[in-house]
Amino acid sequence: MNMKLCAVAIAALLPAVAAVPEIDPGKAMGNPSAPVTVQVFSDYECPSCKLFHDTTLPTLMHDYVTSGKVYLVYRDFPLPMHKYSRQAAGYACAAAHLGLYQPVADALFKNQASWSNSGKVWETVASVLSENQQKKVQTMSVSPDVLGEIQRDEAAAHRENINSTPTLIVSRGAKKYPVAGGMNYVLLQKLIDELAK
Amino acid sequence: MSSQSKPFRIAALLLRFALGIIFLYAAWTKLSQPWELFAMAIDSYGLLPLRWVEFVARTLPWFEAVIGVLLIAGIFLRTAAVATSLLLAVFFSLMVRAYAKGMQINCGCFGAGEVISWKTLLRDGSMLAAALALASMSFFGRRKKSAAGY
Repeated sequence: MNMKLCAVAIAALLPAVAAVPEIDPGKAMGNPSAPVTVQVFSDYECPSCKLFHDTTLPTLMHDYVTSGKVYLVYRDFPLPMHKYSRQAAGYACAAAHLGLYQPVADALFKNQASWSNSGKVWETVASVLSENQQKKVQTMSVSPDVLGEIQRDEAAAHRENINSTPTLIVSRGAKKYPVAGGMNYVLLQKLIDELAK
Repeated sequence: MSSQSKPFRIAALLLRFALGIIFLYAAWTKLSQPWELFAMAIDSYGLLPLRWVEFVARTLPWFEAVIGVLLIAGIFLRTAAVATSLLLAVFFSLMVRAYAKGMQINCGCFGAGEVISWKTLLRDGSMLAAALALASMSFFGRRKKSAAGY
């Protein structure tokens, strides 16, 4: 009987697992069993991603992630047109392994205009880390683990036919919807509310 | 269009079916997804207030479906062909405007996730040309019929 229940539970969870593959817990926020998952495919050097990070994301976090309605997953999608975004993604991913994703991502977006011109990505990242953390992040940012994670995120973006940033994949179970371009928060709220029902 | 030559009628039939299927497909892609996704695509053009965005997002796919059915069935053909041309002319102008302004937005043509590019412009421009050709054929056929005393 228990085995049967187990099999039913696994079968019920399969679509959800298939819909959101390979999550790095350091780059995810909120309740993993929240009804709706929002994956954010972003590039640290893209101005629209900065706008999304600075305006829409805090509201989304406040309204849905902290209340447990949305599980937010960050995905790196460094675009080839941006010279330093892959390097920035490496540092952010490495920081995520130490539980420091948010301060590093915040610093990268806050100072985007500066480091995307000067190329001083590391200086920006280092400014929010202690000396010990800096050593770890610098080593890990070029490790096969971190590079593999970024490649996995990119592969996920290609599977979803994503060709611009920021793009959100809003999903519940097997239902997945891409949201790209200018995002009206009121409409995004309505979409999440409808999926969460 | 029965008074026209066979190649003319075949061309008109092909245009009707091609446009009709495209319109039905466009309607289906929007209706099979939550309406908010199409609303976000409309909103990203930055032209309409939110309540109009919602109204258009909820009604336009049904209008596209009706046009698709009319084109395929050949009912009210002149009206359907003119409506198709007008609709595509509006879509095409809005897309050209967005592209010229460098807006990296979802075109909203066939569901979510298709950013406006020269490819989408070429495709919609070709569809507009086809719709205009069909509209002219439907009126040309009518004049021929009248002249022949039908």
